[in-house]
Amino acid sequence: MFVINPSDPAPIWRQIEEGVRRLIALGALRPGAAVPSMRDLARDLRVNPNTVARAYTRLIEGGVLTVKRGEGTYVADSPAQPKKSERHEALRDGATRYASTAIAVGAEIDDAVDELQSAYERVVREHRRIS
Amino acid sequence: MTEQVVEINNLIVRYGRSVAVDNVTLNIDRGVVYALLGRNGAGKSSLIRCLLGQRQADGGTIRLFGDDAWKRRAALMQRVGVVTEEADAPPEMSVAGLARFCRSLYARWDQPAFEARMRAFGVPLTSRFGTLSKGQKKQVSLALALAMSPDLIILDDPTLGLDVVARKSLFEEVIGELADRGITVFITTHDLAGVETFADRVGVLKKGRLVLDEDAEALKSRFRRIRFTAQQVALEAGGLVAAAGVRNWGNGAEAIVSNYDDIAFERFRTTSGMNAAEIAPMSLEEIFVAVSGENAGGMQ
Repeated sequence: MFVINPSDPAPIWRQIEEGVRRLIALGALRPGAAVPSMRDLARDLRVNPNTVARAYTRLIEGGVLTVKRGEGTYVADSPAQPKKSERHEALRDGATRYASTAIAVGAEIDDAVDELQSAYERVVREHRRIS
Repeated sequence: MTEQVVEINNLIVRYGRSVAVDNVTLNIDRGVVYALLGRNGAGKSSLIRCLLGQRQADGGTIRLFGDDAWKRRAALMQRVGVVTEEADAPPEMSVAGLARFCRSLYARWDQPAFEARMRAFGVPLTSRFGTLSKGQKKQVSLALALAMSPDLIILDDPTLGLDVVARKSLFEEVIGELADRGITVFITTHDLAGVETFADRVGVLKKGRLVLDEDAEALKSRFRRIRFTAQQVALEAGGLVAAAGVRNWGNGAEAIVSNYDDIAFERFRTTSGMNAAEIAPMSLEEIFVAVSGENAGGMQ
């Protein structure tokens, strides 16, 4: 599905939350599709089940996932998009991290923007290929 | 409801005149994965021996599930699974024979779970223990420890000497058990990358003292390696604390800061007028080295 990067400053639960949202946004997880159980995802990603539970709880409360009692967890029929303010905050966090790296390696702003654009396209392409 | 599974209060362990565990106080709530880190000789094994009721404390108390770990050791060990550094059993005994023996000792023995794990690990029940590889011995040891349906599992450097695949499968089993039964895990290890993603709480023993005991996420959020383009760095300007001293790095300097947050750093930046070339998060291993190295400094 996606990988967890322990050296990412974002906490693991947030990486999982973002990972699930990304798969939905890219169409790899469609509305109504079953998502892995917390147990299986914890084992696959080798993370603490409590961490997966925390991410799933947030996704359920955010209207992205739904729980069908006794069956499992599914993508909501019309999964909620992040609020405008949340999206803005997430973008700013990620951009700050990326900008720091770019400056550290001495990249010009134009090179950094080009690289971002091709990374965006690559991620979309890779997901399309898998799904 | 939080129930404390492990309560260690002012524990002292001495060997003659040397102090192996020096006034350690540490609590672990139910369902928590606690990783105790420390260099060789830091006191981890002594602490574990006390936890298991194999040694009486020279000072302080240890309670497991509210009962004294020494006085009530026989009853308590029904609820505690253990995987030690060196998995040991009579070499002539078969895996099935070992399971039969353990089954007779533990009231909550889960034979189907044991057999399923042995199948998953690919270890035949008929193999003699002495003929197994180091990795397989650990797998048998873990399966035995989990089959007794423990409430607490103590893993003493469980992945020592195992290859990457064996390590991964061992951790996966523990994670599966965590998810299924919500057990409490106490693990000591040198494989910091292995526990990095699933430890809830991290403790660091240094020369017998517990120099760190903290939520893993909070720990990782406050440590940063910062590189500066100049050598004179006045971290105090922002109230930032260097965990291991500031050292020159190329034409600039590098500091490991133990109380990083964006606001403190912004304060530092505006007061000192100095920019950082790079602010990098640190892995658990890097934090451990910074905290337990010889010249480690401020911990707050």
